[in-house]
Amino acid sequence: MFRMLKLAKCIVVATALCGSAAHAQETVAWWDFLSGGDGVRMKQMIADFNKAHEGKIKIEATTLEWGTPFYSKVQTAASVGEAPDIMTYHASRIPLAVKQGILQEITADDWSKMGLAKDAYAETTWDAVTIDGKQYAVPFDTHPIVLYYNKDILAKAGLLTEDGKPKGLDSRENFEATLQGLKKAGVKFPLGSVTADGNFMFRTIYSLMGQQDGELLTDGEFLAGDNAQKLQNALALLQGWTKEDLQSTYTDYPATVALFTSGEAAMMINGVWEVPTMVDLHKQGKLFEWGAVELPVLFKHASTYADSHTFAIPANKGKDMTADKRAAVLEVISWLSKNSLYWASAGHIPAYGPVTQSAEYKAMQPNATYSPLTANMIFDPKTPLAGVAGPIFDVMSNYFVPTLNNEMDPAKAVEEIKTELNDL
Amino acid sequence: MLRNKRSEALIAAVLVAPFVAIYGLVFIYPLTRLFLTSFTDAPLIGSGAYVGFDNYARLWGERRFDTALWNTAYFVLLTVVPGTFTAFAIALGINRLAGRIQAFVLALFFLPYILPVSVVYLIWDWTLNFQFGIAMYLFDMVGISRVPVFKSTGWFMPAVAFITIWWTAGFSILLFLAGLRSIPAEIYEAAALDNAGRWATFRQVTWPLMWPITALVLTIQLILQLKIFDQVYLFSTGGRPNDNLVLVYYVFQRAFQSDQGGRAAAAAVVLFVIVIVVSVINFQLTRLSKGGAR
Repeated sequence: MFRMLKLAKCIVVATALCGSAAHAQETVAWWDFLSGGDGVRMKQMIADFNKAHEGKIKIEATTLEWGTPFYSKVQTAASVGEAPDIMTYHASRIPLAVKQGILQEITADDWSKMGLAKDAYAETTWDAVTIDGKQYAVPFDTHPIVLYYNKDILAKAGLLTEDGKPKGLDSRENFEATLQGLKKAGVKFPLGSVTADGNFMFRTIYSLMGQQDGELLTDGEFLAGDNAQKLQNALALLQGWTKEDLQSTYTDYPATVALFTSGEAAMMINGVWEVPTMVDLHKQGKLFEWGAVELPVLFKHASTYADSHTFAIPANKGKDMTADKRAAVLEVISWLSKNSLYWASAGHIPAYGPVTQSAEYKAMQPNATYSPLTANMIFDPKTPLAGVAGPIFDVMSNYFVPTLNNEMDPAKAVEEIKTELNDL
Repeated sequence: MLRNKRSEALIAAVLVAPFVAIYGLVFIYPLTRLFLTSFTDAPLIGSGAYVGFDNYARLWGERRFDTALWNTAYFVLLTVVPGTFTAFAIALGINRLAGRIQAFVLALFFLPYILPVSVVYLIWDWTLNFQFGIAMYLFDMVGISRVPVFKSTGWFMPAVAFITIWWTAGFSILLFLAGLRSIPAEIYEAAALDNAGRWATFRQVTWPLMWPITALVLTIQLILQLKIFDQVYLFSTGGRPNDNLVLVYYVFQRAFQSDQGGRAAAAAVVLFVIVIVVSVINFQLTRLSKGGAR
């Protein structure tokens, strides 16, 4: 009996301790879709955050499948009040999310609590999270695509300039001459290209449209006027490379990275998120000398497609966030934004100005080499139909695979794309 | 003996109630909602305004829906009958083996069946990937040019059909084996006494006696393959999914990618009706032809 009492006492004390600790510590449920090299870095940042806020805020993170699965899950979860407290979100998907009412507004009060403001962000990035004058997310980075290249192969073929960049980045003729030069030097694939994955190629092709000032959506009409021609030009250019055997065909995303890192492909157009792959391999002595630069100018002027990873707070239906919880979530966003220099090592360009303006960031390689491209960035058109894994993306990417692999005429592909887009 | 009808009915009701309740909750209720949703312009989540038969009318002649419909039919054609007869043939072979060897060979054929679809996808992607697939190195060795199996429309459906048969044949083989084992040995003895050859024995004895099993396997396969989705979804990732659409994929696209719950529901109702009609026809046909075989 005495023993039992003692035991009961212990339990009471233990629960009391437990209870008070739980009261003091706020748990923030977090979802992201970062599963590559950048995911590893994000996990590190979360661990750092948790350490810095021990006993106060704890992030409980879950990584989900990128693309349609992630966005479907968010949508269904928010509608039954089971979404997380904070999640990563593509800026390009925000118009659709706002239409569906699954995001909470980030109010002026929130911004001041976080100690962040409009002037810390680039105009295009800020605009990407703004719908009807209200912000629905906090931009964390911008992630464009870049041209990766193998310095060893290019140097051997005499195709490297004095400052260590590939020759011919200034025009279509010159860049194609570089590709031909590589071919002559016995390189199997001068360019490793994601020709089996239309989803990826959307980024390249949209960039090439941007180089001609092309627009996807003009006053509610898809590919109006000569925009169709501009899309066709972009497709014809890339198909030409297939015809002349300058790029790999039917190559899916992992295979492209493998072709490049194994040295079979001398160059590769890919997202900045592959920077950590290269950095890590190089550190282990498993990679040649490499570099990454802004896409070559193949048409009129430089232009690169980009999207932005942002932080958004889901509007959980029938479940209001407590003031404490919201304060914790805002602290998470604020802390991560202000400490996003480390995120740059994942290749991404931090969205928070003070970080990119710092001397440490300016000294980072290869980020510093491609950073200037932020001046030439273009984002998706702002419509609920846009965004990664969205309807526009879906329709267009479907026609890229046959066109890029020389199964379909570019003119025919554009015609089909136009019909299907205007049918949405 | 006198029986208390009322208390028996009560017991029956109590025993059946859990099933009926769950059936109502997870089948009847969602099905009713599906029908109701198909007459509205609802998004994926939430309700929408009544639009009558608009969603159905829009399916008619819509390009993507047509693709989905024809691809589904093509896939059924490629898998149901060939799959059933492949399984039958394999079962006949296994039936001739005995003891441990039989168990071993049966296990070999049954193993793929226990794999989840994502593993099946990875295995075949490793085998047939255009740049790094093992099969492609073999092609290179014998001098055949590489084939982008999952990225060209001509190859896609036949390849997925082949993989599906490889994946699911195990279960049908088990059913056929059970059937073959239930045929009494005396019948074969009698046939042998009558000097019946191998072919005649198969044609006159095995085939008609196995017909009920064959009909069952055909029906199961038919219903299963009409609902094809996972393999097509996985194998067309990034490629040209709209050329490889099947009906369930179409529903998925409408609902989850385009946020059009109403239109997705209408397509789902159409698929539901097709499955019912086709399986009823199939059942009646197999029942009738059973009489003819005798």
